[in-house]
Amino acid sequence: MKYVDEYRDAQLGQAVATQILSEVDPDRHYKVMEVCGGHTHSIYKYGIDDLLPANVELVHGPGCPVCVIPMGRVDDGIAIAHHDGVIFTCFGDMMRVPGSEHTLLEAKAQGADVRMVYSPLDALRIARENPDREVVFFAIGFETTAPSTALTLKRAKAEGLRNFSCVCNHVTIVPPLRALLESPDLRLDGFIGPGHVCTVVGARPFHFIPADYGRPVVISGFEPLDILQSILMILRQLRGGRHEVENQYRRVVPDEGNLRALQVMAEVFALRPHFEWRGLGFISQSALRLSDAYAEFDAEQRFATPSVRVADPKACQCGEVLKGVIKPWECKVFGTACTPEHAIGTCMVSPEGACAAYYNFGRYARQREAV
Amino acid sequence: MTAQACRVDDPHCITCGDEGVPMRVTAADAVTAVCRDAAGDTHEVAIDLVGPVGAGDHLLVHAGVAIATLEAAS
Repeated sequence: MKYVDEYRDAQLGQAVATQILSEVDPDRHYKVMEVCGGHTHSIYKYGIDDLLPANVELVHGPGCPVCVIPMGRVDDGIAIAHHDGVIFTCFGDMMRVPGSEHTLLEAKAQGADVRMVYSPLDALRIARENPDREVVFFAIGFETTAPSTALTLKRAKAEGLRNFSCVCNHVTIVPPLRALLESPDLRLDGFIGPGHVCTVVGARPFHFIPADYGRPVVISGFEPLDILQSILMILRQLRGGRHEVENQYRRVVPDEGNLRALQVMAEVFALRPHFEWRGLGFISQSALRLSDAYAEFDAEQRFATPSVRVADPKACQCGEVLKGVIKPWECKVFGTACTPEHAIGTCMVSPEGACAAYYNFGRYARQREAV
Repeated sequence: MTAQACRVDDPHCITCGDEGVPMRVTAADAVTAVCRDAAGDTHEVAIDLVGPVGAGDHLLVHAGVAIATLEAAS
């Protein structure tokens, strides 16, 4: 298909890998963070890290929306799902994210009406079809997904649907990036920018990275050639002593973003003063709530919830993995107590989580290297 | 008309991965486009956030909603 096949050409990939080899300084170690979980998944799926010189290290960032949901929010969702008459809807991965005692999948097994949806618009359809039931959508995701939730709520309001509401866990990518850049235990040379977040917000929000921290950012697509080219562009900036925001993903990302999507988001959402991120703690102005104009659709106002902060399991090192301080396989429970089938930490739950991606695509190769 | 499932056993959840799926428009009205993905599956896609589209246009789709119109790569 156009816009897909041409970015998976193996010969071109090898050619870009050769160019990368010619750009690196053999005496320097490079740490490049891919911000988005979708990039992490592609890197492992296509073996992109195997094409890179040994001194170019990819660090996996906090851009997996499932991985940053704290357990207390999962507990709140489960509590709502157990209310009489509620149909609780969420994306597939969210079903397996552990709360303090259970997952939503386990709540479903216990009798709660929990249903997976592919789109928030599917949740709205369920609400239309079940006017005598309360339908709740558990919204997660960065700025890529938030417009879909906003559009859904706009339609709910226009239709006067009173049995639909939303638990809003949408988060924004810039505040955690700033927190990472302020972290003393992390040294990064550049960033592979989140292409689909930028489709919505544009390139401008990322200019603080070169301006305030002197690091290059290349907004990248998700096909293997996109990622290889973005790494090459970062290395060229570093070699040339430049640090700026470049857009590798021009076929999708306009510099100004999607103005219609931003307008809908501004109408439906407002910034929360602070929000807890799994592994990263509380970060100011890093998440969205429903605006006052849409308060009637706020499930947190409609239903009683525990709203209790729950500490992460002690054995889990998701925080260090999310910050890129350790690699997934360096976690004490990786691949033993914590697997995709029995996840302790959220990085193992979502296929886009660094741990699950490494477990699924890289673990055995790493074992062979060790032998 | 298929609605792509989001399953717990799916090896890759496009919604949670912030991934966008390129699709080609086969028909459209003011708010919905019928689109085909690379696998040949057909989807109904909300186009409120990208504006009017026509048959042959390519869209980037996330969670059932088009978030961008694809243009020739530079």
